[in-house]
Amino acid sequence: MIHSAAGSSPSSAPARGTTRDDGLARALAAIVGERRVLERPGELRAYESDGLPGYQHRPSLAVFPGSREETVAVVKLFAERGVRFVPRGAGTGLSGGALADDVVLLGLHRLRTILSIDAENVRAVVEPGVVNAALSRAAAPYGLYYAPDPSSQTACTIGGNVAENAGGPHCLKYGVTLNHVLAVTALLPSGEIVTLGNAQGETEGYDLLGAFIGSEGCFGIALDVTVRLEPLPQAVHTLLADFSTVHAAAEAVSAIIASGIVPAALELMDAATIQAVEASIYAAGYPTDAAAVLLIELDGAAAGLEEDSARVSRFCTEAGARGVRLATDAAERARLWQGRKKAFGAMGRMAPHLVVQDAVVPRTRLPEILATIERIGRAHGVQVCNVFHAGDGNLHPNMTYDGNDPEESARVHQAMSEIMDACIAAGGTITGEHGIGVDKLPYMDRLFSPETLGAMCALRDVFDPDRRANPGKVVPMHSCREWHGAAATRTRSA
Amino acid sequence: MTSPTHSAAPCAIPGTPLADASAGIDACVHCGFCLQACPTYLALEDENDSPRGRIVLMHALVEGTLGVEDPDVRTHIDRCLGCRACETACPSGVPYGRLLEATRATLTAKQPNAPIARAILFTFAHPALLSLALFGGRIVRALRLSSLLARLPGRLGFAMSMLEATRGPVERAAYRPDGDGSRGSVSLLTGCVMEGLFTETNRATERTLAANDYALVQTSGQRCCGALHAHAGDADTARELARHNIAAFEASGADYIVVNAAGCGAMMKEYEHLLASDVQWRHRAAAMSAKVRDVSELLADAGPRPGGPLALTVTYDAPCHLLHAQRVATPPLRVLGAVPGLTLVPLEGSEHCCGSAGIYNLVEPDVSDTVLAPKLARIADTRAALVATGNPGCLMQIGAGLHQAGSHVRVVHPVDLLDASYAADPARRAPAPGASRQT
Repeated sequence: MIHSAAGSSPSSAPARGTTRDDGLARALAAIVGERRVLERPGELRAYESDGLPGYQHRPSLAVFPGSREETVAVVKLFAERGVRFVPRGAGTGLSGGALADDVVLLGLHRLRTILSIDAENVRAVVEPGVVNAALSRAAAPYGLYYAPDPSSQTACTIGGNVAENAGGPHCLKYGVTLNHVLAVTALLPSGEIVTLGNAQGETEGYDLLGAFIGSEGCFGIALDVTVRLEPLPQAVHTLLADFSTVHAAAEAVSAIIASGIVPAALELMDAATIQAVEASIYAAGYPTDAAAVLLIELDGAAAGLEEDSARVSRFCTEAGARGVRLATDAAERARLWQGRKKAFGAMGRMAPHLVVQDAVVPRTRLPEILATIERIGRAHGVQVCNVFHAGDGNLHPNMTYDGNDPEESARVHQAMSEIMDACIAAGGTITGEHGIGVDKLPYMDRLFSPETLGAMCALRDVFDPDRRANPGKVVPMHSCREWHGAAATRTRSA
Repeated sequence: MTSPTHSAAPCAIPGTPLADASAGIDACVHCGFCLQACPTYLALEDENDSPRGRIVLMHALVEGTLGVEDPDVRTHIDRCLGCRACETACPSGVPYGRLLEATRATLTAKQPNAPIARAILFTFAHPALLSLALFGGRIVRALRLSSLLARLPGRLGFAMSMLEATRGPVERAAYRPDGDGSRGSVSLLTGCVMEGLFTETNRATERTLAANDYALVQTSGQRCCGALHAHAGDADTARELARHNIAAFEASGADYIVVNAAGCGAMMKEYEHLLASDVQWRHRAAAMSAKVRDVSELLADAGPRPGGPLALTVTYDAPCHLLHAQRVATPPLRVLGAVPGLTLVPLEGSEHCCGSAGIYNLVEPDVSDTVLAPKLARIADTRAALVATGNPGCLMQIGAGLHQAGSHVRVVHPVDLLDASYAADPARRAPAPGASRQT
């Protein structure tokens, strides 16, 4: 993996509006078949966005390989021709990581075979396009499941989860994707295949697997992913606590965590979110007059769970909860969770456009930051809907607006920027689980020093020296330019 | 706060049905939760054949970045089954079915449907022609020509298998329904294919309702419900048929209008929406829609009363327009649950479309076959002898698929099983006029 001069300049790609590279489309069609290469504007429209609202970038073309062999052949062709490309799973990401701006879109959603489930060693090997929830469904007959559960788990893919190091409500106790991936067979942008990590989960040498997970498609493609499964918990208690102030709910969160109990999940939803959910088909029976609800799940061995559940309930009451309800059966539990997991979608009914945000603050500063967010929202006349992983301080302040109203859009974006600044100032960070993509790029400079960003550029160049994979994402272009300039390792034309 | 705000964006196709419906597009937040619910996305693996992708295309038509004559737009909109499984997956409540119909109405105004689609729609809109076609079907079936011709390749063979699938598998003796009519009066939408090819299911519907204390009222002058026309973008014909039916059922004065075909029931429950901009008819349409019930809803409200034992292994496939459009999920299971001795085996993927979708299986045969294949495989997994489902299209599609695969599994309407159960009840054993035997 040595720097190559050829293809290092992004300007080698055709500019927007120029003629498409027909030769490339033909060569790709020879690998994957005519039907799996999209070139016409009418067909590319659907691939202009991912789950991040408000952004549209048109790929130059889109290609969908149907097997490992086809995928390798496609990426090798890209390498030969110096083609820049963006890998995409189900397009449910919320930071614009799968947006392809006049570069080739490489859809991996057709690679959806679960290659093996090894119940004895509690692990599975899957292709990148396998849907997160489909893996848990397939593992259920063995009494196992895949723990990371992003809200989009009914649609998102394991490959995308690896790229974004996806989290989910249950990562409070079980950890994020990084904690569940044992090995990845990675296809580098050069077309080389490397194995990162191993099925035993031991680390020897540099932790390249750790670097790959969360690399947002900039380091290559996972051809297969070996994941650790978890035994289905013996018992589960799901509680819904109802508060008349957000502050009281945040206090309850602190009390629960301080007690040493580790809930499987600890989620907070505010009034605006509750009302959006209750108006949707996923209405979960949340109290619509509450200022906030906490959705708390405890799981594990049946012994001791009742006791923990009673203690959690008491902490909520002591913090001022109006009531605490225990879901009595699996159906009610599922209903309470469906409401939470579809909350972001449910906000769609409130206005034509939506900003879905992701930030992290130290848990102890939650009450304070929530008050700040409310103040910022009020100052800009913007409705903020909070729905988040309270247990680990991972906020999702969301805003609904009409993007066709430039004045309202400007207010929303100003408010969002101020909220991010407030989170950083509180000792937090700009993403908990959605990734940087394009949406968080402007905040990278606020969080990281030029040296740190430079180190990120250097790491990227190890995997993708031509910077052809998911160009323009994660690290601001200027950081790389400055870093390369300062280090005098390469010169680049503007 | 919970009603969608209409975007202030300019519209490139003012005055079209899609432009009128475009507020529904704004509700989509691109979350992608619909993808795995969509049979054509799963079959074709292209987001253009998914709800999210099609909504993007609709949006492009409205904003004018793609034209109504764009062949790609037409292809992907045509390929939608209209099963509306995306609606029961959609957190933000996108009214996808209405958007689809509005889009098809907008596109077909510029470029008509395929000749085969037009021929079928024309037939259904003309009672004499329809009667003739259904009579012909019954002759072909009675002479067992359909069994012979089902071996032909292509759509003709499949159509003949569909006809074969209309032979009821349930044998039953005559019985006395014995109800007292105390639950109110009901009038049956006899329907086109139901009365023409599933005649005995219509009679079973009447008997089981009577046995559960509903009083039957006849409605003369009924026509096709218009669902096929609305789904294909011919809203004008659909409205004309709707007005006809509203007037007919008003005259019957029944408390409920009962439907045993899920697709027709879904349509009639939406007459209110269909005629929303017709000042003369909209109130009458709303009153009519409010009275429409699927037969399983009325039976479930009444219990239904249990019958005599039937030792059968049955699986249930939910018709999309019952589950996703009408959101009726459990009543059909309660109907089956009223049959003692019946073992109900769950069908994995019961919520997924079978590929019938009105006339879709005749106009988009390849995609329809691709969608049907996993359904047949999962039915085989259940080892059930019968597949129960409450819609003629689904009965014929699944039945044809099973027939062509050489399977011994048969399709049946849930009401036929309840009817057979009543017939097997010794307490009801006494001949009633009109009950018949069918094999």
